[in-house]
Amino acid sequence: MIPKYYYIILIFFTSFTSCTKDVDFNQIYDANVHTTYTSTLVYANFTAINFLDTNNIEIPSTKDSIEAPIDKNILKYLEKVEFTIIINNTFNRGFNFYFNFLDDTKNVVYTLQPTIFVAPNSGEQTFILEIPFEDIKLLNKTRFFEFEFELTESSDGSTLSGTEIGTLDLKSSVKLFYNFYKL
Amino acid sequence: MKKIIFIFFWFSLLSSAQNKQVLYNFNNLPQTLLLNPGSEVYNQFHIGFPLLSQVSFQAGFTGFSTYDIFAKDGVSINDKIRKAINKYGNAEFMEANQQLEVINAGYRLKNNSYLSFGYYEEFNALAKIPRDVVDLFYEGNSDIGRRYSITKTAARAELLGVLHIGISKKINKNWQVGARFKIYSSVFNASTKQNTGNLYLENGTNNIYKQHIDNLSFLLQTAGVFFEDTDVINKSYIQKKLLFGGNLGVGVDVGFTFHPKKHWTITGSILDFGFINYSKNVRSYSVKGSYEVEGIQVNFDPTNPENYWQDIKEDFDNQVVLDTIYSKYSSLRPIKLNGSVAYSFGRPYYDDCHFSKEREFYTDKMGLQLFSTVGTVHSYLAATLFYEKRINKYLQTKITYTADPFSFTNIGLGISTHFNAFNMYLAADNLISLSNVYNAKSANIQLGINFIFNKKN
Repeated sequence: MIPKYYYIILIFFTSFTSCTKDVDFNQIYDANVHTTYTSTLVYANFTAINFLDTNNIEIPSTKDSIEAPIDKNILKYLEKVEFTIIINNTFNRGFNFYFNFLDDTKNVVYTLQPTIFVAPNSGEQTFILEIPFEDIKLLNKTRFFEFEFELTESSDGSTLSGTEIGTLDLKSSVKLFYNFYKL
Repeated sequence: MKKIIFIFFWFSLLSSAQNKQVLYNFNNLPQTLLLNPGSEVYNQFHIGFPLLSQVSFQAGFTGFSTYDIFAKDGVSINDKIRKAINKYGNAEFMEANQQLEVINAGYRLKNNSYLSFGYYEEFNALAKIPRDVVDLFYEGNSDIGRRYSITKTAARAELLGVLHIGISKKINKNWQVGARFKIYSSVFNASTKQNTGNLYLENGTNNIYKQHIDNLSFLLQTAGVFFEDTDVINKSYIQKKLLFGGNLGVGVDVGFTFHPKKHWTITGSILDFGFINYSKNVRSYSVKGSYEVEGIQVNFDPTNPENYWQDIKEDFDNQVVLDTIYSKYSSLRPIKLNGSVAYSFGRPYYDDCHFSKEREFYTDKMGLQLFSTVGTVHSYLAATLFYEKRINKYLQTKITYTADPFSFTNIGLGISTHFNAFNMYLAADNLISLSNVYNAKSANIQLGINFIFNKKN
């Protein structure tokens, strides 16, 4: 005769005998993580002297560049790049601002669009410029970011002098929109 | 790199939390001596089946289960990941532990003490991941002003061999005490703990934002992870390291069993009170410092071009210092604490395996067990209610209910069979999750075969 305890154990075990509910590990291929990182970028403060040569003659433009710290390993996960540029102009002159991407030999490979026009005495203005997804591949060639301010002609033909009162301030940041789709 | 991959691949084959609540004090099995060296065993001698006397796997993650993410329920996996992250606590941890007994044997001495010894291999890993780190990866840093702290970030991983010898001695009819001495031989160790620091973004003065790394202090200690180019990493290398060619350490287990009254039993043990001294293949990394930056101030001066990025990199390197350290270090083993109080009742019995002139054995036992692991990386507590039933002289069972950081609904079951000298046991928990194993946040199984001899055998 089988002891009753065996039945109890049998019932106990059978009460736990299903195994799994449906899972689908292939869903991992549909997984993506949309992450946004914000970084500070460059800033500058200009007075009239920045737009004059050594003879105190107005120059048409001034520019500078920085090395672009681009990690090419995660470039494939980058979906969008968004630059925020704040310019505060108290000069009685207007400017065009160009944000160029340069290659190894400092040739322009891409210019952020649209070009920013800063009107005379415009005060503080905020501009959002975006590199669309289809242009992100150009970052592969980019070694430098170049920033250029081009003076526009004054309405009365006057030029800047060293005594000109006014400032032009540039602030910037960048938002990197990643999609880590291969977890 | 290949060597590192080889090591990790090797232990991942073995791998699988450290509470063995079902096995603890179960049926006077020889393996209970590894959980409480002061356990009562009544046999004359025993020998475990080589490599099969105890195979133990335990793994768990407190955050979410496999089913939470991969359920085939028509819901987008991205929505499920989002839901799981929303439920993520301030810090969750994952733990894996695997043990393989190579040799286990014991013998009753003439003074009635029980001497036991053996050798086992153990892999254990634990990672504690704070919510801030998860959010920083999942959402980014764009929450202005939020401080992403790494303070609770901690992890450890180790593969080691343990040679042990212990003795369990009856002091009087109420007290049994025991101790076990261990020699550890570590194949590899990696550990990071007591990390501090914040990363955050705030509105700037000169620029739109100012970025901060605040009081960063991070230390990763490794031994046996990085190798010289001349080192050959293969199976024999690992075997040699497991067999006392690795970084060595010592430890002790102590425990007791006390019968305050006829039906009552109180037990307790402290396991792995010891350390390992790491001096071979040691390489540690330390990062310390604070840094804040509003961006790069460009001067638009063509007559004085500057290497802005180099300047900022040098400034960063000066303020946040990365050191590679090759000096030896010591690490305490994570200490495990066990305790129990039990009440025996039912029918008294005697058999060849259980014979004592001083006490009676009963068919039923129930009680409470507590387990805690205390370590520099992470500590936690688990509580277990148990009922143990001797069904007949061939079969003994134990049912447990455990509440721990992984689950409050953890039911476990242990079965131990004796046919003459042949003993086989199986202990497993989280049985409720057997209805859907993917929904389990932890799993725990121990099984083994022993040959247990009494005077008649």
